[in-house]
Amino acid sequence: MKHFLGRNRLGIALLLLVSLASCTTTTIDEFRQGETGIESHESVVILGRRQASDYETRSEFVSCVGERMTRGEGAISIVPEQEFVDAMFPWFEPRTAPLRTRDLERLMTEASVSDRMTEFGVRYIVWLDGFTETTDRSGSISCTIGPGGAGCFGFGSWEDDANFDARVWDVGSLTNVGTISTDATGQSYLPAFVIPIPLIARVEANACSRLATQLKEFVNGS
Amino acid sequence: MRRMRGSMRGRVRTALIFMAALYLTACGVSNVVIEGSFPTPNISKLPLNVAVYYDPALTEFAYIEYSETGTEEYNIASGQSHIELFSTILPAMFDRVVVVDSIGEAEALGVDAIFAPIIEEFQLALPAKTKLDVYEIWIKYNMRLMKADGDYIADWVLTSYGKTPVESLRSVEAAINAAAIVALRDLASSFSLSFTQVPEVRDWLNTL
Repeated sequence: MKHFLGRNRLGIALLLLVSLASCTTTTIDEFRQGETGIESHESVVILGRRQASDYETRSEFVSCVGERMTRGEGAISIVPEQEFVDAMFPWFEPRTAPLRTRDLERLMTEASVSDRMTEFGVRYIVWLDGFTETTDRSGSISCTIGPGGAGCFGFGSWEDDANFDARVWDVGSLTNVGTISTDATGQSYLPAFVIPIPLIARVEANACSRLATQLKEFVNGS
Repeated sequence: MRRMRGSMRGRVRTALIFMAALYLTACGVSNVVIEGSFPTPNISKLPLNVAVYYDPALTEFAYIEYSETGTEEYNIASGQSHIELFSTILPAMFDRVVVVDSIGEAEALGVDAIFAPIIEEFQLALPAKTKLDVYEIWIKYNMRLMKADGDYIADWVLTSYGKTPVESLRSVEAAINAAAIVALRDLASSFSLSFTQVPEVRDWLNTL
């Protein structure tokens, strides 16, 4: 009976750990500066900002947001980042990309740029800027190997914090129509009792999913 | 018994060879040949007939990164990728581009100008040394533009920078290649967009 209670307790503790691990807090903040809406023949391009010296917006995150915006109700046509940047070369490289809408206005006077923009049917440019940081690492795990077998023992945990800003530029009116900020945090655990069991918080994936949903609604004007 | 000893000896030999190979791999220099493709710039062409001379210092350019103990760690060969880059951007910048083997050959062709780029400096910053989560590459170039008779029109310095974030399951060599490609694209964008703004080039263009 005691043995049974012990097993139950262990099971509850594991379940609690799993539920804690899957728990990610995501905050979305929307700031609208203008009216939005998109026609079926129009598209959106999502670009990562890469001007900062110590980090850069990962292209995987950019494509994750884009891919999710093409799914479900109110799906939007997305121009792949690399395809757009290559087609616009050299105007959207880290050093030459427009930082303000005034720069975009100047850029659109270049016939080759405005022609390509029309070809792609780009109505909105979304600039993604941010990164995921891992903090508060604690605990330790040691692994040993011997003639009788191998195993790991210990406990490790860390916190992931994903901060991303999405600035939406209207290519039609050449204005900034809004900013959506997302902040997702989550604690990951790695208990090891012979075998390490990773209980990873899907912080960046959650940030991507929530930001994509919000952006889709924002662009559709709902 | 003899057969067993022979088999044992063979296994020991194989293990020794494997260990020696592992040791040599761990200590040897990693060769990185920069490879990538570059898009054609969307810019207006200048009505010029330009000869390009690639100095062997550029075509055979290789940078060696040393470890903290002074041993050769990475040997980065980027000469050929620079040739590929210039072969893509120059025809988009000028009406006619011809590659020459010597300055003398260009003089005989009667071109408007001779362009000769060289790499002056190359720097690599690895996350293990900088403690940043990015691989970085800086390249400093000396761009020379000469008249058909070999007289200088302009001689200017251009720098390019490329970085790429640390990613799990990506080798250091692949990350160096990715950072170098970003740096080469940076060179292409700044060179193609700033060419006519170089004071000496602008003055020369006004005389044509």
